[in-house]
Order: sequence, then structure tokens, then C-alpha cells
Amino acid sequence: MFQNRAEALALALPAAVFAAIVFLAPVVILLAEGFRSADSWSLSAYTAFFSDPLNRTVFLRTFRLGLMVTVVSAVIGYAAAFAIVNLTPRNKGQMIGLVVLPLMISSVARTYAWIVILGRTGIVNQALQLVGLSDEPIRFLFTETAVFIGLLQLFLPLMILSLISALENMPKDAIPAARVLGANWFQVFFKVILPLTKEGLVIGGTLVFTGSLTAYITPAILGGSKVLMLETLLYQRVTVANDFVAASVIAFILIVMSFAANLLLKRLATARNKR
Amino acid sequence: MKKFLLASSALLLVGATAASAQEKTLTISVYGFAQDAFKELVYTPFEQKCGCKLIVETGNSVERLAKMEANKASPVVDMAVVSMADALSATRADLIEKIDTSKLSNFNKLYDLAKDPNGDGMSVGYTFYATSIVYRSDKMEVNSWADLLSDENASHVAFPNVTTNQGPPALYMVGEAIGKSTPDLKEAIAAVGAKKDDIVTFYVKSSQLVQLMQQEEIWAAPIGRFSWEGFTKLGLPIKWATPKEGQTGGMNVMVLTKGSKNQDLALQFMDFWLSTEIQTALAEKLVDSPANKEVKVSPEIAENLTYGEETVKNLKLIPSAVALDNREAWLSEWNAQVGQ
Repeated sequence: MFQNRAEALALALPAAVFAAIVFLAPVVILLAEGFRSADSWSLSAYTAFFSDPLNRTVFLRTFRLGLMVTVVSAVIGYAAAFAIVNLTPRNKGQMIGLVVLPLMISSVARTYAWIVILGRTGIVNQALQLVGLSDEPIRFLFTETAVFIGLLQLFLPLMILSLISALENMPKDAIPAARVLGANWFQVFFKVILPLTKEGLVIGGTLVFTGSLTAYITPAILGGSKVLMLETLLYQRVTVANDFVAASVIAFILIVMSFAANLLLKRLATARNKR
Repeated sequence: MKKFLLASSALLLVGATAASAQEKTLTISVYGFAQDAFKELVYTPFEQKCGCKLIVETGNSVERLAKMEANKASPVVDMAVVSMADALSATRADLIEKIDTSKLSNFNKLYDLAKDPNGDGMSVGYTFYATSIVYRSDKMEVNSWADLLSDENASHVAFPNVTTNQGPPALYMVGEAIGKSTPDLKEAIAAVGAKKDDIVTFYVKSSQLVQLMQQEEIWAAPIGRFSWEGFTKLGLPIKWATPKEGQTGGMNVMVLTKGSKNQDLALQFMDFWLSTEIQTALAEKLVDSPANKEVKVSPEIAENLTYGEETVKNLKLIPSAVALDNREAWLSEWNAQVGQ
């Protein structure tokens, strides 16, 4: 598009400078806090953070919930995306509209709705009692289950949308071909669909995993202080204890986890390519 | 962008007034809540009276104290309102000055509790609140703070997190109730920790409790009196407990910055805020419970405040020194026993 690179770079410069000043520099300054002790650089803030059993529990819980939400949304997402791409164009458009709809509603409103739905007198408990699965209301609110449900609902659309676009780019006759050649549905999925749509899975997986790691509102409202996650712990460290060092440690851990997840998923994708 | 424009025009305005007249200014540091009401009832009337300009800084007390500490060499803020314990912390950090109460004409109208909360002459209380238990009177009976932790009740209780203002006072009263009351709150925290799986949530924002009560998620919770009004509107049988160990609570106080150049003006402002007229106005709008005992309000208003000689006399407040010296220990004990 451009005659020379210099022209292109010059056009990108204002945005790059802006991002460097208002984003990169503050982030680096903030994160550097976590690596300082008195006058020298050290990892002492990190060893101190991980030596506290509460912090370890919170770290593992955040990681576990992120992983579970990603895996479950991938399973549901494939089923939903597969069903949607096989619809007529008109129905497809409507269904995609329905998937996107929740993204247009503030996550605070969506999360508050779960308080009503999952409550002791909420629709879930009423249904469970009606069909006789439970004699008395089950406690969902302020448990890991509630946070899991909230996060899943929050991020599932991103997974479905990524998988829809991946499935649409897949050659239409790949599945019939595999079937004709005698593959069962299990083999079709793992040998044909998955390798051909892994790009979508990597994008969706990264969005969902990093989203679950860094969501604040959902764990704060549905989990509360009984189900602390890294991001709610971060908030507590800053506002209650005025402890910016621990906060910067947590922020760094979250960033590393997000990058690691993305790299790992990409690696998995390319590993399958080679075979 | 809009904010930026507003801020810059505000700056221009400030610059303009400072240039046009050598007007006196007083900088105050207050909690961020109910600022519209304070502006109408306190700030603007005072500005008219003194012919001076008020600059109001708001924020939570951690932020505001950190700022005062940072500006210690040349103070920006002339007077601040903080919690009782934070006032002691400011005293220890040498940020504030003794208050010359002889210059406060309304000083003798204050409840004794408010006259010198920390016993060092460094602060004057301007409002306080009772903390007790709000509960569903058709579902349970609350006669003691220990009732919150009974086997039948614990699974219907929201307890304040230790990091909130209600947390330590509530734990302090649980300690009194189980007969093991020590400044480190160790036994009380252990008693709550033993029920941590039953207790519905350890709340951080009291605003959430009304909804939980409405959904029957909880039947009881320790709250500050300032949150009571919301519960009365639910149309449920809800009562304010008067436990046999008494009620606890907290007090907010006024302090005078050390090295402030406007101390006389700051004292005038404090005196104005403590006057019967202003304290009555704040009480009637349900902004703050009065520390001035001459304030008379209707029973309906009193119902939503911490009001009256008898109530005030029976408040069991945690002494500031205890709160300050134990804060860190409470938090780590809580994290070990309750936080998971």
C-alpha cells in the first residue's frame, strides 16, 4: 500500500507515541514497584506473596476457574457454533444476533441478574424444589459455582463467535468427505474439525481465559470475600491495606498468566499442524 | 474530554477569583459521601457567613491521610474529618494540632463522648453511629451478639468483613458475648472462623445487604445505623436488635492540620459545623447523626439516626489506640481463620 516503509512508520508514530506514554510507561512504572526492595532489584515481594497460604489459594482458584470456564465454554461453544453455521443464512443471522445480545448489556446488570436467579428464592432453586431434586434451597450465591456460572455466561459469546468464524472458513466438504471415508463423529471432530478450526479456538480460548482472569465485577458480586480471586484480592490490597507492592505483584502475575495462556494455546495449535 | 474541560474551567475560575480579590480560602478534606447535601447545608452557608472560599477535597480516609502525610512540610489541607482511629494515627504521625476548644462556642453542647474522643485534645467528634444487628423478627430472635453464630442462625447471616468499618466493632461485640474479649479479637475471629462455611457472606458493601434481605438470602446482619433506612422500606418484619452486651459503633471527628496558615478560620468552620442549627439540618436530611445534644428532631427522623442521650451513652466504641495497634494483626488473624 505504501511506497516506502518510512511513510508507513511515520503514520503509525502518533499512535505508537500515545500508547507508549499513556499505557506502556505507567504499566512499566507500576510493575517495577514489585521488583524493588529498598535500593536494589529483587524478587522478595514475589516470594513474600507466594509464602502466604491465602495468596496461594487465591492464585490456584483464579487459575482453576479460568481453566474450567475456558474448557467448558469451548465444549458448549463448539456445539453451538456448529449448530449455528449449519442454519439458513437468515436464521444464522438471528442466532448470531442472540449470541451477541448479552455483550451489549453491561456486565454489572448481567451479574446482578444472577443474584436474583441463583438466590434462595430464585428460579433455579424453585425449579430444583419443584422437580424434587432438592428439599430445601441450595446455596449458590457466594460460592465458586456462582462465580463459575457468572464468568461462563459472561465470556461464552466470545468463544462462540470465534468458533463460528473458524467453522465458516472450513471447507464445506471436509466433513462429508471424512464421513464417506468411514470416520465416526468422534474422529471427524478430532481429526478434521479441530485441526481446521484451531485458530478460532486459540483466539476464543485466549479471550475467555484472560477475560476470566481479569474480570472484577463478577467475582466481586457473585463470590464476595468468601471466594477471593486475584483481581478482588488486588483491590483489597490497594484500598484496604494501601499495599501497592502486593498489588503490582498480583498485576504482574495476571499479565504473565494471560501471555502464557496465549503462547501455550498457539504452541498447541502449531504442534498439531506438524503432524 | 468533558471532565477535562470542566476541570480546566474550574481551574480558570479558581485562578480568577484568587486574582480578583485577596479572598481567604479554607481547604477541607472530607469523606466523599453526601457532598451535595453538605454543600447546600454546610459549605455554602459558611462561605456566605465568613466571606471566604472553601476548597473541598474528598476521598476515603486512607487516601486522604496519605496525602496529608505527603504534604506534611507545607500543608494544603487546613482541617479534615476522619474516623476516631485515623485521628489518633494522624496524631502519632505528627500531622495534626491540638484543638483550642475555648474558641469553639458550641463545644459545651456536645455529648461527652464527642468532646475529646481520644483523650488527647487533638480531635472533636461531630457525628457517630451505632452498630447493631438488623434481623428478621419472624425467623429468629436476637438477644445477644452470640446469637449470630448459633447453629440455627449462622447459615442465614451476613457478617461484615474485617476490612470494613463495621467488621472490628462487630467482632469486638462477639468477643464480649462469648466472654473472651481481648484487644487482638483472637477468640472472636476464631468463633466466626468456625462458622465460616455456614455464614452466607462476609460483606464489604453494606448497600448489598438490602437486596440479600429482600431475597431471604440472609435473615440477619450487623450494620451501621446509617444503613437502617433501606431495610425499613422492604415491607418485611425487620427489627433493630438491642443485644444484652450493648451496641457498638464508630465516631467521625474533626482535626486541625499542623502548620496550617488558616487555623482561626478552620476553628470557625468547625464551630459552625457543630452548631445546633447546622447539626439539626444535617440530622433532618439523614446525613449525619448529631453530636450536639441540643439538636431536637422528630421521632421519624430519630428512628433513622443514632440519637438521644441514652443511646449515645451506651455505645461501646473500640478505643482508637486498640484499633490502631491491632489493625494489621486483626487482618492477618482474619485471613488465617476466615479468609480462604
